[in-house]
Amino acid sequence: MSYYDIDAILTDAEKIPCTFQIDVPDLGYLDNQPGHTLKAGSRVALPIWLAEMLAIANTGAVDMDDPSQSSKSFITFDLPSALGNDVVQALKADPRSVPLRDQSAHFYALATHMMELSEEPELSAVLRKTFVSRAAEIALHARKVGGGGSSYHGRDGGGAGGKGKGKATKEDNASNLGVGGAGEEFLRGLDEWERKLFRSAHDGTKASKEWMENVKKR
Amino acid sequence: MALPLPTGLTQNEVSFLAEMEMVTVVPRQRLDSIDLLGGKTPQLRPPHRAQLPLWLALLLKKQRRANIVPPAWMHPASLAEIIHRETKEDPEAFSPPPPPPSRALYAQPGTARRLNHQHQPSFLDDLTQTTLDSQQQDPNSILSPPFLPSNVAESPAGYLPYHWLEIAEALLTHAGDDMPAPAGEVRSLLRDLVEVRAAKMRSSTSALEGFGDAWLTLRGVGAMELAENRAFLAGLVDGVRKIGASAEATRREEEEEARRGGEYGGDGDEDSDEDMGL
Repeated sequence: MSYYDIDAILTDAEKIPCTFQIDVPDLGYLDNQPGHTLKAGSRVALPIWLAEMLAIANTGAVDMDDPSQSSKSFITFDLPSALGNDVVQALKADPRSVPLRDQSAHFYALATHMMELSEEPELSAVLRKTFVSRAAEIALHARKVGGGGSSYHGRDGGGAGGKGKGKATKEDNASNLGVGGAGEEFLRGLDEWERKLFRSAHDGTKASKEWMENVKKR
Repeated sequence: MALPLPTGLTQNEVSFLAEMEMVTVVPRQRLDSIDLLGGKTPQLRPPHRAQLPLWLALLLKKQRRANIVPPAWMHPASLAEIIHRETKEDPEAFSPPPPPPSRALYAQPGTARRLNHQHQPSFLDDLTQTTLDSQQQDPNSILSPPFLPSNVAESPAGYLPYHWLEIAEALLTHAGDDMPAPAGEVRSLLRDLVEVRAAKMRSSTSALEGFGDAWLTLRGVGAMELAENRAFLAGLVDGVRKIGASAEATRREEEEEARRGGEYGGDGDEDSDEDMGL
């Protein structure tokens, strides 16, 4: 992750639900109570960059009465709703039908960041399956887009569409018409990683097509 | 990051490199040997076949000074066999690359050995070394697809060389009348092959679905197909790596922990020794 990576910066700005463990004076404006003390136990959505700092750092205060409480962290955080149980269950059922962009524009980046902060072995497996099976669908769409010419790239997209799920067969008719119909809906639901993947697959196909046409000219 | 140049070779660069491959020509005019950077070209005398680089062969073909003999694998029967193998026999894998060139041994009738292949030295070497082609410069060099001498002209029927798509396209476009069958037939077979392999390339990504190592096998994939899919496949594998990075880190920590337990556990602490046994 580069310092100048705009996607990394935007991912850090995603908010996750946090619970304060201690009272913080004058921080009430975070919970719509300006001027008041933020009570311990109140739930506030904080951006990741802040939540990460607060969760890792500890108060450093030594409590003589109860040593176990002496250095607890400022907050505890939960998984954001984008990675909530219902989303994970939907991804397990059919990864292709979930519009990830509606959950978060940086879904995978958010997920990997959260997995770094807290161990989620199951989430990692689900995400991997999701990413790979959606990538196959992306590759399919990437070949179709703009493949309206007489070259076999367009034909190929249609022919191989039958291998996908029921949704893909529906799109066979639209294979030469660029983005359209159900394909558009799927492509709108791509998160940033998947968009990049789509772009690279599309550029590769396009460059091959251009080369194929140039062979005849030389 | 700053440069928008794609990683790897572009399609045009790949097809430029493919023009270095050797093809067989039947000259129609005499032509003296040309002293090129890569060595001298053979002298062309009309009825005798000769091996020329593809770019020179195409040039002579355009000037009607030579006919190009299409490589054996471009014969319709060979292409049909490859398609059959890719679709029916092994619908998962790409058809294997050409086998390394081998040659029968004079000293041991009925046996053959790979050219340029590393082997155990034996007393037979002295006998066979003299019979090896003098053009094989280094007997210990290890061969890999782009540098195999069997890539084009000598590639046997039924195998696709590394630069198959570029060479086939160039030959079909510029030397269509030299094809053993109507160029249209060869072309449509080639289209089928491209389709089959492109679909295979996309379905090959499902190998990454399971939890385990993030790797794809690309054995037998041609240079042009690599150029087309490089960015996509690299992005895909990189994404899988990032998703699995945290799980990988924990796994490594555990391994490290276990290893350290093994190193320092022997200092009289019996409990940790027992732990190691598990």
